[in-house]
Amino acid sequence: MKKFYAITALLSLLGLADAIYLTVEHVTGQSVKCTIISGCSEVLSSPYAVVAGVPLAMIGAAAYFAVFALATLAAFGYRIAATLLMPLVVAMFLVSLWLIYLQAFVIREFCQYCLFSAAVTVGLLVVVLIARRRVRYLLP
Amino acid sequence: MKRILPFLLILAVLGAALGSAWYLTRSMPASTPANSASASPDPQGATTQPVANKGVPGAEPANTRGPANAPAQLEEFGDFQCPPCGIFHPILEQMEQEFGDKLRVTFREFPLVPAHRHALIAASAAEAAGAQGKFWEMHKMIFDHQKDWKDSFDSRPTFEGYAKEIGLDVERYKRDLESDAIAQRIFLDGKRGYSLGVKGTPTLFLNDREVPFETLIQADKLRVVIQKEIESARK
Repeated sequence: MKKFYAITALLSLLGLADAIYLTVEHVTGQSVKCTIISGCSEVLSSPYAVVAGVPLAMIGAAAYFAVFALATLAAFGYRIAATLLMPLVVAMFLVSLWLIYLQAFVIREFCQYCLFSAAVTVGLLVVVLIARRRVRYLLP
Repeated sequence: MKRILPFLLILAVLGAALGSAWYLTRSMPASTPANSASASPDPQGATTQPVANKGVPGAEPANTRGPANAPAQLEEFGDFQCPPCGIFHPILEQMEQEFGDKLRVTFREFPLVPAHRHALIAASAAEAAGAQGKFWEMHKMIFDHQKDWKDSFDSRPTFEGYAKEIGLDVERYKRDLESDAIAQRIFLDGKRGYSLGVKGTPTLFLNDREVPFETLIQADKLRVVIQKEIESARK
């Protein structure tokens, strides 16, 4: 199962890089404001992009980092980390679903980096499910 | 070694994450409002507050609302088609309602052509309404219905409908829309924005100092900075 936790850790790095990029764009106002050369993101400037004054992307970055930490520990045999990983990834998956719903039906605009993050989370869920042997039939 | 390796990996990733965030923040173009709020020194001298830059005058008379001697003077550079400007509009209305005659608001045209194909037409429509003394009525109509026209092919009939709705002399409105005087007003507002270093919209100045984007887009944060300005004027 260690192999799957290693994959989880690598996947979470993709999510982390994506979330850091989004956070920086959000905090600096880059791509949030409209300029002559670059289109502005309706998604990032929407009120949903901030939770209690904290950019959502920053919370995402923290979550991906937590996944990386837990998956790394799990890969080295810490069972408690493997146990904690599951609910975290499920929670992230549910939040991603909600965010896609917001983009599709409320804001009615999509943001590429947000969709990439959702895709990474789906990947994480699948790998963690396999690692936990919850869905044996997905194994090759 | 095997025991501390996972912790070393985690620490390394944390370091790389924070490092790249720091690097990216610094390398983003200087158009960002964040660096006017940060401690980066400006060319005139090293202060944490950006030096008040008066810039060149914009169109006269400007589109303003509120008493001329109000302690908090807000100047917005906006583009009617820009989504965050549309989000900012109700926030600004809320501030005007809360602070009443302590606030004076000026709107400057900053249409981002060609990124926003309807921006110039929208700016002209608002200015043409202004020629009949109804700038703010038109301004509100255009912003409130931004989603209705921003994806259309031709926004002119929509704006003409608004002109009728707010009770403009439509024939005069249509003439003014094409007039040099209106084009000149938009040009002068743009020139003023350029002289102030405005690169994007919405850009907001509070008593000649730029308000960071993060602050202006959240009513709770904007309220605090306006409140501070009013209190410091009282002293």
